[in-house]
Amino acid sequence: MLPGVVGLIQATEIIKLILENGVPLIGRLLLYDAMKMNFKEVRVRKDPQCALCGDHPSVKELIDYQAFCDIHLPGQVPQDDIDESLYELTPLEFKKAFDADSSAVMVDVRETFEWDICRIEGSELLPLSKFDPATSGLDPDTTIFLYCYMGKRSMLALKELKRAGFKKLKNLSGGIDLWAEEVDTDMPRY
Amino acid sequence: MKLTNEEINRYSRHLTLPEVGIAGQLKLKKSKVLMIGAGGLGSPLGMYLGAVGVGKLGLVDFDVVDHTNLHRQIAHASSDEGRPKVESLRDTILAGNPNIEVEIHNIRLERDNVLELFRQYDIIADGSDNFETRYLINDAAYFTKKPLVSASIFRFQGQITIFAPESGGPCYRCLYSEPPPAALVPS
Repeated sequence: MLPGVVGLIQATEIIKLILENGVPLIGRLLLYDAMKMNFKEVRVRKDPQCALCGDHPSVKELIDYQAFCDIHLPGQVPQDDIDESLYELTPLEFKKAFDADSSAVMVDVRETFEWDICRIEGSELLPLSKFDPATSGLDPDTTIFLYCYMGKRSMLALKELKRAGFKKLKNLSGGIDLWAEEVDTDMPRY
Repeated sequence: MKLTNEEINRYSRHLTLPEVGIAGQLKLKKSKVLMIGAGGLGSPLGMYLGAVGVGKLGLVDFDVVDHTNLHRQIAHASSDEGRPKVESLRDTILAGNPNIEVEIHNIRLERDNVLELFRQYDIIADGSDNFETRYLINDAAYFTKKPLVSASIFRFQGQITIFAPESGGPCYRCLYSEPPPAALVPS
């Protein structure tokens, strides 16, 4: 329902601009909180230092927005020499390899609310938001099978384990979403 | 430009408002609004802008209707699953008001198509769902001197404002000079 409320405020402002009537939301940022059910208004001003509309703009034409938005946290390692393809398994390969290795451990790095929706039988939950190889209780000598929703977060966890000295690591390519399509078709998808 | 008798009848509750009247209704009929996004925000936005008689609506989206969209993207019906969102939204808008023109753009907004598109409209409405597109739209609206009515939602919160540097207000970059680090972007 949230997008309905917000979309209609947007519509109202558009109509006011067209009719040139009323006080438009220019220079004001309206914040709506559905849980608290309140509206807050924050004054927003033109920044003289703005790269686009400031006094000395540096953006004078359209730029490469993908590159502009693809920045990383300070301290985060943006590139590494880990070849991801070495660890990726299709859902069927993942299942087969896990079933064949009785000492293997399967780790779900999604968040708790996702775990509550669906999970792969035999896995344990170690959310990426709190993931730390040192306190994970995982044994570097066992094979660790990792999965998440689409396969990206589990690859981040895999790389952390790799850096921590783990060697036997597998990642579910396509995550539990592809698993639900190719292995367990009774699983709910979200 | 005039209103037809059918339009006068349809919009009669507007026409009796002094703030709108025939002059206001004609302003609506002459106006062209480009909407980016035909999803959660675009659904109610397009349905209402169409119903009140905005003369021309442009819809930009490259996505198709998915089962998980239906609970909030109210312009799309269960039978629309798999259809391009712009087609589904267009049909819903025109079913409500066949007097207006709806132009669909089943494309991803890019650096090389955005300016030409923006120039054909008076107002830009941003209901996009990612930072790349938001910066692209902000810059293109600035270069083409179009007011940008911006809305975004995250979880249980929404934000709305109008970016109109031409009228003395800030642009999106004045508020957010840099995108959040990739690791913090919710997916």
